[in-house]
Amino acid sequence: MEQVIVNALYLGSQYAMIALGLTLIFALMNVLNFAHGQMYVLGGFVTYTIYGRLGFPFIVALLGTAVTLAIVGALIEYFLFRPVIRRSVREESTMLLAAGIAFLLDAVILLVFGEKQRGVPKILDGVFNWDFRIILPYDRILVCVLAIMSIAGFIAFMQFTKTGRALRAFAQDRVAAELMGVNVDRYSMIGFALGAMLAGLVGGLLVTITGVNLGMGGPVSIKAFMMVMIGGAGVISGAIAGGFILGALEAVGLAVLSQYGDITYLLIFASLMVFLSFRPQGLMGKPWG
Amino acid sequence: MNTFKINQLIGVAIFLFSVFVAVPYAIAASGRWDFYYTLTSVALLSIASAGVWLTFYIGRINIGQGAFALIGGYVSAILVTKAGLSFWLTLPLAGLFCAFIAVLIGLPILRLRGVYFAMVTLVLTEVSRLTMLALPITNGAKGIVSIPLPGALSIFGLTLIPDFSMLKNDKLAFYYVACVLMVICFAGMYRLVNSRFGHLCRSLQQNEELASSIGVNIAYLRIVVFAISSFLGGIGGAMFVAISQSIYPSSFQVSDSINFMLNCFLGGLGYVFGPMLGTLTLYFGWSLLFELGKYQLLIYSSLLIFLMLVLPNGLLSIRFSKMKGVQK
Amino acid sequence: MNPLLQVKNVTKKFGGLTANRDVSFDVEEKEILSVIGPNGAGKSTLFKMITSFLSTTSGEVFFKGEKISNLSPHLVARKGVVRTFQETTIFKSMTTHENVIVAQHLRAKATLAGYFFGTKAAREDVKKFSGTADEILEFLGLDDIRDEIASNLPQGHLRALGIAIGLATNPTILLLDEPFAGMNHDETMHTVGLVRKVRDSGVTVLLVEHDMSAVMAISDRIVVLNFGEKIAEGTPKEIQNNEKVIEAYLGSEDITIGI
Repeated sequence: MEQVIVNALYLGSQYAMIALGLTLIFALMNVLNFAHGQMYVLGGFVTYTIYGRLGFPFIVALLGTAVTLAIVGALIEYFLFRPVIRRSVREESTMLLAAGIAFLLDAVILLVFGEKQRGVPKILDGVFNWDFRIILPYDRILVCVLAIMSIAGFIAFMQFTKTGRALRAFAQDRVAAELMGVNVDRYSMIGFALGAMLAGLVGGLLVTITGVNLGMGGPVSIKAFMMVMIGGAGVISGAIAGGFILGALEAVGLAVLSQYGDITYLLIFASLMVFLSFRPQGLMGKPWG
Repeated sequence: MNTFKINQLIGVAIFLFSVFVAVPYAIAASGRWDFYYTLTSVALLSIASAGVWLTFYIGRINIGQGAFALIGGYVSAILVTKAGLSFWLTLPLAGLFCAFIAVLIGLPILRLRGVYFAMVTLVLTEVSRLTMLALPITNGAKGIVSIPLPGALSIFGLTLIPDFSMLKNDKLAFYYVACVLMVICFAGMYRLVNSRFGHLCRSLQQNEELASSIGVNIAYLRIVVFAISSFLGGIGGAMFVAISQSIYPSSFQVSDSINFMLNCFLGGLGYVFGPMLGTLTLYFGWSLLFELGKYQLLIYSSLLIFLMLVLPNGLLSIRFSKMKGVQK
Repeated sequence: MNPLLQVKNVTKKFGGLTANRDVSFDVEEKEILSVIGPNGAGKSTLFKMITSFLSTTSGEVFFKGEKISNLSPHLVARKGVVRTFQETTIFKSMTTHENVIVAQHLRAKATLAGYFFGTKAAREDVKKFSGTADEILEFLGLDDIRDEIASNLPQGHLRALGIAIGLATNPTILLLDEPFAGMNHDETMHTVGLVRKVRDSGVTVLLVEHDMSAVMAISDRIVVLNFGEKIAEGTPKEIQNNEKVIEAYLGSEDITIGI
């Protein structure tokens, strides 16, 4: 039991971080970022390069990853999304663009890093063992703590800085924010950079545990979509709740259902269907239409 | 009006002639037998894309067609290998099973709109892959292999389709079957869209509230359309399995679902034959880029993005602006 | 005889907010009844409950003695209670004529499959719809713009098209949601004429409106809402002299012309 709770926390903290980035981009630009998983993978490979290959300290690698992904995100927003959003008449256009970007990032990662599974040396050795009731390697604990710290940092940023407040105003009501003098272009770019950075950071954290490979992008995006649907799209608290809920469901599923084959996700999806038929806007989302 | 009809007839005749006569002849002359496989794939993929297009037509972005192609494929494969049914019987059964699943899933999710519906259907694709990995009957990651080729189909002693394993050239046979299915599918789609049924679908696409205020049972219509869409997905998937004689959980996955959607979008969402055109363009584009080896994906995706930058409203947006010009 | 439409003790709450409290009134056959009130008085919410676009928190709506609240909107429309929308809601990328053709869904005899296979019933339907659509367009003076794409139409025409769509469903009672909003005097008077014509053709009209001069000119009876509650009911004359009404309107910020 204790083990399941700890596993849920560990999974939930990473998931929440992934969902945060996705929901931020969605809230600001009404774009469903299909390339979110690819950004996660890219983050993993950048950390792998700086920490695993070049031998810099892990924390330097994480910082490098954050900066790289923020730049990549900003460039994508500036050169791709901005012109398309300005000129397209249907919301599908941005989705297709996002899909194209997912393919492009896949291609770039394939060319630069190859298709092999990559791993890095452990950041911490040893296993925490409490009377065989909770067994958790130290590096996982560290990753979990770092993830929770990042989430806390992100929330603090959104609550207490001027930029964060502007972003929130912008997400709540684009038109009103524009009238109040928020520079829409600038904040779209900052928001996209932040979202990409969060995705990349999780990739960087998890490369130390699961390693990274090209095929991880798609499944990561899918999980992020599920969390956002559980919590409600475009709401920060919803993303965090969605992340921890999915983490918990997965941990329970692994513990209880493993002997029946891996039908955890089928069950999660079925419950999601039932849930959405009662609450199509998710836990914390606003009702629409 | 009359000349328009004659033009249409001529167009259809040219199309049928080139599909059933000219292409086989050209392939025989050039000796590029591999084109049969490409073209058969295009025909089958465009059937599945037609389903996606139909859900676009009621205003829903469907990224779940990969799931239904996969389910259809497995239904056919299991019925053929485990129950020993004739493939030709499993083909409609696969479609119907998918339609049934679509009704079950559609009841809750068709209430969602826009991005939300897109997200759920995308998740559905991934979930169906994981399910096929986990279920005992689907044989996990190893998949179902060495599925026998379709047998003969005869009614009252009259052989309609010969046994494929007896044929010298089953590639040609599959090509014909796929093209016949495609022609039936698109003729049906054309009929549907141009009947009152299609009118009602458009009313849904433009304004669901208004549609329900004039008495349209929008929930029912959405379910019917989604079921038809998934039926087509299942048929496409089942045919693919017959050709490749194998199916794995990874046979249809998220990228396939996205490609079905891309096909529709590139072909144009306002035009029934759009999915066919889009599938042909994308699939051939992809195959042609094969020569470029590891740069294939890079160039393909760059082209896609470039296209979105230049024509953010789809390939046929050029066509439509021209059409309007002619009318005025 | 029973009234055509009965609203009985209808209440709607959104969370802690009460949009309508205990509203009751009757609509008689072939009259024009207007529901008026200052902004935020709960008129539109009431409309949505009558047509089942919203469920009631408590209370019921009866049409010809049959309960119609808390059903599906399309079922209410099938019984003959049809609404138009506040915004100019039409099928934007269809022509005027196509809009009215689609809207005749309730008169259809054939099934979906029937239309697909082109059965006899379906072919007759299609023929009939086209004719009826032309009749309705002519009736409302829209025949000039029959083949225009609806999104290109000016506002006055859109409103009339909205009414045409409503009429196409062959309603017993037509609910018009602010049919005069955003119109100048001439357009308003033109539309007032249309609404009268609709009533004279045998359709009962219930309308929600803000424009006092139009309401006074057109209505047989008026129901006044304020803060979600009914404060008065009567003929235009009675309403004009009702102190509660005057207070409600003067007390609120928008002092509308006509009182």
